[in-house]
Amino acid sequence: MAELTIGKKILTKGNYAIAHAAVLAGCECYFGYPITPQSEIGEYLSVKMQEEGRAFVCAESELSAINMVMGACSTGAKAMTSSSSCAVALMQEAIACACTDELPVVLISVMRGGPGLGYIYPSQGDYNQATITGGNGDFRTIVLAPSTVQECVDLTYKAFHLAHKYRNPTILLADGLMGQMMEPVEFKPYPYEEIDHSDWALTGAKGRPARSIKSLGVDVDKQCEHIKNLFAKYKKIEENETEWEEFDTEDADIILMSFGSPSRGVKSAVKELRKQGLKVGFFRPITLFPFPHKRLAELAQRVKKFVVIEINMGQMVRDVRLAVNGAAKVEQINKPVGAPIDVETIIEEVKRMI
Amino acid sequence: MEKNFIIAGFGGQGVLLAGEVLANAFMLADKHVTWYPSYGAEMRGGTVNCEIVMSDEEVSAVNKKDLDFLVALNQLSFDKFLPKLKKGATVIANSTLVKKSQPIEGINYVFAPLSELATELGNVKMTNILSLGLLAKELGFENLELLEQALDNVLPPHRKNLLPLNFKALKLGYTYDLVKQ
Repeated sequence: MAELTIGKKILTKGNYAIAHAAVLAGCECYFGYPITPQSEIGEYLSVKMQEEGRAFVCAESELSAINMVMGACSTGAKAMTSSSSCAVALMQEAIACACTDELPVVLISVMRGGPGLGYIYPSQGDYNQATITGGNGDFRTIVLAPSTVQECVDLTYKAFHLAHKYRNPTILLADGLMGQMMEPVEFKPYPYEEIDHSDWALTGAKGRPARSIKSLGVDVDKQCEHIKNLFAKYKKIEENETEWEEFDTEDADIILMSFGSPSRGVKSAVKELRKQGLKVGFFRPITLFPFPHKRLAELAQRVKKFVVIEINMGQMVRDVRLAVNGAAKVEQINKPVGAPIDVETIIEEVKRMI
Repeated sequence: MEKNFIIAGFGGQGVLLAGEVLANAFMLADKHVTWYPSYGAEMRGGTVNCEIVMSDEEVSAVNKKDLDFLVALNQLSFDKFLPKLKKGATVIANSTLVKKSQPIEGINYVFAPLSELATELGNVKMTNILSLGLLAKELGFENLELLEQALDNVLPPHRKNLLPLNFKALKLGYTYDLVKQ
């Protein structure tokens, strides 16, 4: 693969782009266990982290990997793991713990087909797994969804930034297509300020009272207060960090929505439908949590219909329905697993819905 | 304007590398480009392909329904992707391994004995790069500068000694006297 240098355009795979961006973001520890379609992340870091004098551990399982990340994060370190669908499923308990413990865990989730083992072709079947998760209790994860290899870089930077700024597990939700495809990218230096964790991190209690981080909440009142504080934090995240892309929405009758790699084809469909004189707009959530509820609710006041296109049987569409709250129709175009639906098919289906 | 290419052949013929070189050349020409491999439980001797989409704007999608250009280094790939070619599309086929046939009207067939030419050049592994030379000609590239720079980008440091032979292969493909049939 090409040398990944700052400030020069190079052609590289999404997985390598994510891995190198993590290095530039200052990731000090990587713990992981290989699984297609994201194995290049570990492969790259197994060499690079050693060169940089940082930690790389190929764990014995995904469960170990995520718990090692939690351990490293409890010292305030920048640490991450990467995995895919059926293996991210093994990490669910830890994600809930990391949320209540407010640990800045970064998880790169490169979706493959499911359920169960499924297979290595791309899919978006883990929208729910990332945004709702299978962990117990009340909590939220921050979820970012790239749609180009350049965004794999930019959003990996952002994942580290948000995880540490809000002390909250942050998931970069890519898919097999993003991971395996090559596109020109430019690596800029990590653009965010470093966050000071000295007031909470477990750094050895010499000269200060001991600290502990645990998910056990015996005192009901204290636990209530803790969870309320978590949700106040989530509200702040929603206010400050919600991100999306939209165009041609101002006069649109219909808005096509998608996230991640399929949104590229959807974008082309919108442009083509516009050329044919149809009032169609485009909307792509970049942060899946926080979800752009507010903006969608505004648009729903004058848009007649939202069409949500996903490579799953309809997961993001639930968030869209919540946001729209009956003010406009919501329809779906779905394919369970595999590469995105082609542009021509989207155009045909949308025309049939008009 | 968006054009898409599939380069296909046996595992080991270097189709993914050839695709990466081509995608790099488009990048160097300031085009938008996406490279996407067939990935799965492939092995040496099985079939492999990659798709390259080049565009003046953001690349819309990969895994497209139809094709503008096909480079087929073996029979299996020729047979598999021929039906996907658009009217007016071009196929470059390695006639050492692909039987010459022109079953579809409106397709520009370019047959050249790429494996033989590569063997004459000294290394059959140059088949893939020879095909890029031919493709450059079909695409109307004025010279091979971009592809040479792309090769330099793609070959790792311990393979740079192979650059002169690769350049020769490019040139041989580019200047090959085509007998279009």
